Amino acid sequence: MSRGLLGWVAAVAAWIVIATFPQWSREWESSRYATGIIRDILVFAIFAGSLDLLVGRAGLPSLGHAAFFGGGAYAAAIVGQRLGTNELLIGLGAAALVAGLLALFIGLLAVRATGIFFLMLTLALAQMVYALAFQATDLTGGSNGFAGVRRPAFFGVDLGPAEALYLLVAVVFALMTLLLWRVTRSPYGRALAGLRENERRMRALGYDTRTLKLSVFVLAGAIAGIAGALSAYAFRFVSPNDVALGTSVTGLVMVLIGGAGTLLGPLLGAAAVLFIERVLSSSVGFSQTVLGIVFILFVVFARQGLAGLLRNVAAKVRS
Amino acid sequence: MTPELVLQQALNGISFGALLFVLAAGLSLIFGMMDVVNLAHGAFYMLGAYLALSVVRITGSFWLALLVVPLLLAAIGLVVEPLLLRRLRGRHLDQVLVTIGLSLVIVDFIRLRDDWGWGGEVRSLAVPPGLDHSIAIAGSDYPLYRLFVIGFGIVLALTLTVIHRRTRLGALIRAGVGDAEMLSALGVDTDRLFARTFAAGAALAGMAGVIAAPVFGLQPGMDVDALIFSLIVVVVGGLGSLGGAAAGSAVVGPANTFGTVLVPQFALALIFAIMALVLLFRPTGLLGRVRIGR
Repeated sequence: MSRGLLGWVAAVAAWIVIATFPQWSREWESSRYATGIIRDILVFAIFAGSLDLLVGRAGLPSLGHAAFFGGGAYAAAIVGQRLGTNELLIGLGAAALVAGLLALFIGLLAVRATGIFFLMLTLALAQMVYALAFQATDLTGGSNGFAGVRRPAFFGVDLGPAEALYLLVAVVFALMTLLLWRVTRSPYGRALAGLRENERRMRALGYDTRTLKLSVFVLAGAIAGIAGALSAYAFRFVSPNDVALGTSVTGLVMVLIGGAGTLLGPLLGAAAVLFIERVLSSSVGFSQTVLGIVFILFVVFARQGLAGLLRNVAAKVRS
Repeated sequence: MTPELVLQQALNGISFGALLFVLAAGLSLIFGMMDVVNLAHGAFYMLGAYLALSVVRITGSFWLALLVVPLLLAAIGLVVEPLLLRRLRGRHLDQVLVTIGLSLVIVDFIRLRDDWGWGGEVRSLAVPPGLDHSIAIAGSDYPLYRLFVIGFGIVLALTLTVIHRRTRLGALIRAGVGDAEMLSALGVDTDRLFARTFAAGAALAGMAGVIAAPVFGLQPGMDVDALIFSLIVVVVGGLGSLGGAAAGSAVVGPANTFGTVLVPQFALALIFAIMALVLLFRPTGLLGRVRIGR
């Protein structure tokens, strides 16, 4: 078997193992708890994957990605409520649309900058979305959050039960990962890599770098919005925290711990961060401190992240 | 609005601007020298406020807190810079990322220190005696402490200007802002200079925390508010210069105050609209030297 085919088989097998987790773990005492955590890991892996499209692929360090995650979550919740529909595709579509539009508005200003300035602008502009969500009480529930998100249904099939919802998240995760894989392999993805390596040269080659940056910003925003919608369905609740800086920071921490610019990184990063935030925090009270220190250690000593470390180990084993 | 109310809000706006100047000056100083946007600046501000709470509780003196807390923050800065930032010299983005991790640690530390009377609840710091009453200005009462904040901001701005223009340290800072590499080649110990700059920036953030605590109180999330506002101020005013921090504060402080009074729903939108306009038409900020957008 060729290496490429082998990789596909391994990826599909791994996905099947993950997607059927609620079934084969049913006998375990903590199956339900673990199912919930893996579901959230997958949701955040989509979010981190979309952010990595900016950070790792295009070299655009965004610290405002929560605006699109939370924007998508609110959009799915509000559209479901106002239209009185449970239809999944309407919810996800609304989430992607609203998040994409938000990304367009923020991007128009933010893509004028690069590097640290890009990070500053996305941070500040995303905070405006947070303020809007916080103030528009009759739409979003303000500081109380939006409770009572409708159960999603796919052409009449109820996806409310925990196991159905889990499968939905696993399927969307697979689709989004495939999309990201396709994008990064395409000529468009190559252009993004060029943007990351040397924007000036890309301009000299005739690329309209500003449009390129804006387009990837909108695409990443729309995918983050879909992740937000899944989060809304999973918790049946949208909190203003979903739009807040803390969520943007979480996403960036996931990308960098997992390994920026890799396909596996966002999943590993989401797993590591949620392990620290959910599992570890039940035994130690200072999980955020642990997260901060782990993050610093990765930035200073292991910038390639978990995915890079794994690759190094694999290379050592092979030789 | 009546003329009295306009005057009162104008003073509020100026006093908020003065506070923003203290806050943004530190952020701008660090950026100017080291090309690092310190995202732990809000956490330093928050830590300053909580340290002030403890100093006042122990000694009973706000003024002692105003003196000691910036020194404590400077000490933290002197430790953090060599420990975390120095080894990432030249990797500006990674330096910025490290400050995110630092702020997570600091904010969590504050949340966990219930035993010090910190923790996750809202706390308040009393206005120092002597400044805790109001005086009559143009026929209406105005809290004296806010006037003190205005005075403090102006005195600090003048002091920093004199240091910047007239002292050897100021000359080194100006040279470092211009070209830190060349300064190093000329035999100046830039490592030490960078550590001190970072410490000074942290001290200014702490100082802002002390000054702000009696007005705005202490609560979780104050770090984010402070960070966002100081970022907006430096974007509007211009990064890396004292004048920029001053100009940005002078615009954002009053704009936010009048926005909150006149169009409460859109106060923040107003601030962001100003930021967007500046970015579109003056990408360096009002008085800046660094182009933020292109």
